[in-house]
Amino acid sequence: MSRQADLIVLGAGPAGANAAIAAAGAGLSVVLLDEQDAAGGQVWRAPWPGLVREARSSEARDGDRLRARLAASRVEALFGRRIWSVTRSFHVDAIGPGGNETFTAPRLVAALGAHERVVPFPGWTLPGIVGLTAATVLLKSHAVLPGQRVMVAGCGPLLAAVAAAIVKAGGTVAAVADLASPRDWPAATPLLATRPRLLAQGAGWVLKLAAGRVPVYFRHGVACAEGSGQVERVTLAPVDADGRPCGGVATVIKADALCVGHGLIPGAEITKLLRARHVYDRRRGGWVPELDAFGRTSLPGLFAIGDGAGIGGAASAELAGKLAGLVAAKDAGALPADAFARMAPPLRRKLGRLSVFSAAMARMMSLRAAQVAVIAADTVICRCEDVTRREIDAAFEAGAREVNQLKHFTRCGMGPCQGRMCGDVAAQLLAQRVGSREAVGHWTGRPPLRPVALDALIGDFDYGDIPIPEPAPL
Amino acid sequence: MSRVYDLAVVGGGIHGGAVALFAARGGMDVTLLDRGALCREASGVNAGTLTMQMTRLALIPYALKAHAMWASARDWLGHDVGVTVCDGLSLAFTEHEAELLTARAGKRREAGAPIEIVSGARAQAVEPGLSDKVLLAGHCPVDGFANAYLTGLTFRRALLEASVALREDTPVLGVEREAGGFALRTLAATIRARRLVLAGGVWIEPMLAWLGVHVPVKTLINQLAVTERIRPVMRTVVGIASGLLSLKQYPHGTVVIGGGWQGIGDPERGGVELVPERLIGNVRLACHAIPALRGARLARAWAGLEAETADAMPAVGPVPGVADAFVCGSVHSGYTSGPYVARLLVERILGREPEMPLFPIERLLGQPRPGITAAA
Amino acid sequence: MMIRLQAGTARPAAITLLVDGSPLSAPEGEPLATALGASGLLRLRDSPRTGAPRGAFCFMGACQECLVHVDGIPRQACMTPVRHGMVIERRGMP
Repeated sequence: MSRQADLIVLGAGPAGANAAIAAAGAGLSVVLLDEQDAAGGQVWRAPWPGLVREARSSEARDGDRLRARLAASRVEALFGRRIWSVTRSFHVDAIGPGGNETFTAPRLVAALGAHERVVPFPGWTLPGIVGLTAATVLLKSHAVLPGQRVMVAGCGPLLAAVAAAIVKAGGTVAAVADLASPRDWPAATPLLATRPRLLAQGAGWVLKLAAGRVPVYFRHGVACAEGSGQVERVTLAPVDADGRPCGGVATVIKADALCVGHGLIPGAEITKLLRARHVYDRRRGGWVPELDAFGRTSLPGLFAIGDGAGIGGAASAELAGKLAGLVAAKDAGALPADAFARMAPPLRRKLGRLSVFSAAMARMMSLRAAQVAVIAADTVICRCEDVTRREIDAAFEAGAREVNQLKHFTRCGMGPCQGRMCGDVAAQLLAQRVGSREAVGHWTGRPPLRPVALDALIGDFDYGDIPIPEPAPL
Repeated sequence: MSRVYDLAVVGGGIHGGAVALFAARGGMDVTLLDRGALCREASGVNAGTLTMQMTRLALIPYALKAHAMWASARDWLGHDVGVTVCDGLSLAFTEHEAELLTARAGKRREAGAPIEIVSGARAQAVEPGLSDKVLLAGHCPVDGFANAYLTGLTFRRALLEASVALREDTPVLGVEREAGGFALRTLAATIRARRLVLAGGVWIEPMLAWLGVHVPVKTLINQLAVTERIRPVMRTVVGIASGLLSLKQYPHGTVVIGGGWQGIGDPERGGVELVPERLIGNVRLACHAIPALRGARLARAWAGLEAETADAMPAVGPVPGVADAFVCGSVHSGYTSGPYVARLLVERILGREPEMPLFPIERLLGQPRPGITAAA
Repeated sequence: MMIRLQAGTARPAAITLLVDGSPLSAPEGEPLATALGASGLLRLRDSPRTGAPRGAFCFMGACQECLVHVDGIPRQACMTPVRHGMVIERRGMP
């Protein structure tokens, strides 16, 4: 009892929602699936159902606009669906409110977005420590401050956004620690100039923090976090341009919450599961699928777009989504070639103009090898399984040369997060011994894409209905 | 390099690893080659079940001996692979299954397996987490399970300690016979040995073809799944009379679900895709047997390989017509019986009479290709 | 302790849930991890091998650190809207 469509889109963020809308507009029947309650992904995440916020930021308005366009389209958008299996070409299984549902289509768009990278430090697993994207969810979508005195640390554009948002909401930022130097921001200015609104935001945060009398420690990283049962103190230490501690005065900040993040990792899970070809691209966040100019992967019928296919930001994601939706419609024969020839070039030009900017932002968020190299031996790397750096190093000594073997030797990556939180750093640690990220590879993609409750998976059934094959010979 | 080994073993899974280990301890100068890392194929990703209740009748005497070896892995392997010895239950929920169970358990008991048929109530006393719907169960007090993914690490240590020349990530491209033995072509060098053991699991067919011997071997793609850590919900290893369920909970709390439901794959690519309906069917059986599992979440699923010959019996013995060449593999429940079968073969190679018969492959020559298993 | 923003914000009426046997008040539909955080309950579980305290980390359903028992079933607190009468247990390991 599988729902058939011309196109299935997985992920209703800026990329996926736009792909769905464009494809449906060109005449395809489109099913759009997302686990959340509404479209918007993480960057334009709606307030939780029931929560009403009057003052809407420009980002919130972008999200509202997307949700309105989606509602006005002919896309069949299904929310609250946890996708757990995707097989060729293509069947999707997802757990929804009524149990397991299956969908089939000859074309699939993967737009699962990104998740954060936090390079571990002693104490990083203490309650009260959340990621930077987590902090934006708390502030925008839950309307809460992460704590009474919030320490904000890490690197990249999210750092500024979170600190400014807390101040704007009337909260207290104990301090901001940026791995980058103040010179790194103006260096990005020519590029930011192509995105005037973001430039204003970027300049604005410095002013806001100054107005809020928030101490900003440039070229500082988190040396450790401490507390009894939850975070109470964060120690900052000076670092060099590569993120390596360089001696100098450490500063202890009292805080009951720490928001920390070191960039974003593309959620290329669908493309890995389906075994499309991937390439390691540090600037775009790590392992990303090989793509043509229209988002097609090496697997016919499979598209990958947005941050899930390589970090590039929401504006690029929207355009890539529109383009992929049109291409899918053209490939399916629904959109005539001449119409496509009219509609695609403006999108591609805009993407081209954005690409320099989005590359610069991605670079600010890419992995700093030196920061990983100095992680202390007893620091937990795999949170799910409590695997420390010491154990990863020991696995190399015992002969592990790629990450799946590392997994077998240590259980790193075998826990419920399926290696999302630890995978990039664990692979980097192993690669530093083996020689390259390409050599150590990435975790093999396997279902379920997210943990699924067995109860929901099996539904109601009669024992006699289970198609048990012939028993093995005696 | 003009070194000529006494023995070259091609294939670094349980069979190849154990052959290399026992041969080295028997005084031979041994090299072991694998195209990848040790125990990463079938041997590293199976369900780890060590049970009498799904073992082929003819293999029960071997499984009994092998079981004892696993339970004392520290003695011969030097380290343990997380072996838990515990009660095993094979369940019957329907009259048909009860008949099947009674017949099969009876035959297995005659062959020496310590299995008795018990009522559903008695089975529940053994396994408090068991469903109320069990009619009858086969009970074996000395079943058990190991932690398959630890196998590679453990064998590696033991082989290095035994001075086996380990050549991982070394695909063998072909083998030529020479005066005095065999020349194994690899990318980097030619390895020479007086004797050869082919222990290539699902790749035994192309390996035997190097020597001009043709034995069709089928590749099974077995789906497996594991939950995240949960509170204790079971204390036995559980199966079903039809053989299509294997279920156990590890000391650290995860539950592994298997039973031979077929996924999609082949020897070249491995297990590449799981069939969702079959995963669901397998999980339904598991939840039917241990209802508390319903409250767990599935964390991961994968597919592992298993080799099967035309008559589903092992291929262990000399290679016909090729002096000093041997084959070791396609042992059903290979993980369980592997170490013991390997030890028998090494006895033979060392010129002694093995204490149990091997499984000569003359019977398999010229067989038609094994058909597709009647899996769902 | 997380702090609910009030200015320019409206929430549904409060409901009561039980957390480790004690009543807790939160607006209906608020994500459980946030409801707990706003009551100062940041520690949600213990890590499997060392028993170290853990709490919600990513708030987007990826990290699995916020697992608590909701009416007897393990669920991610950041993805669970609170409902009246929910029984929450922070059971320690795992």
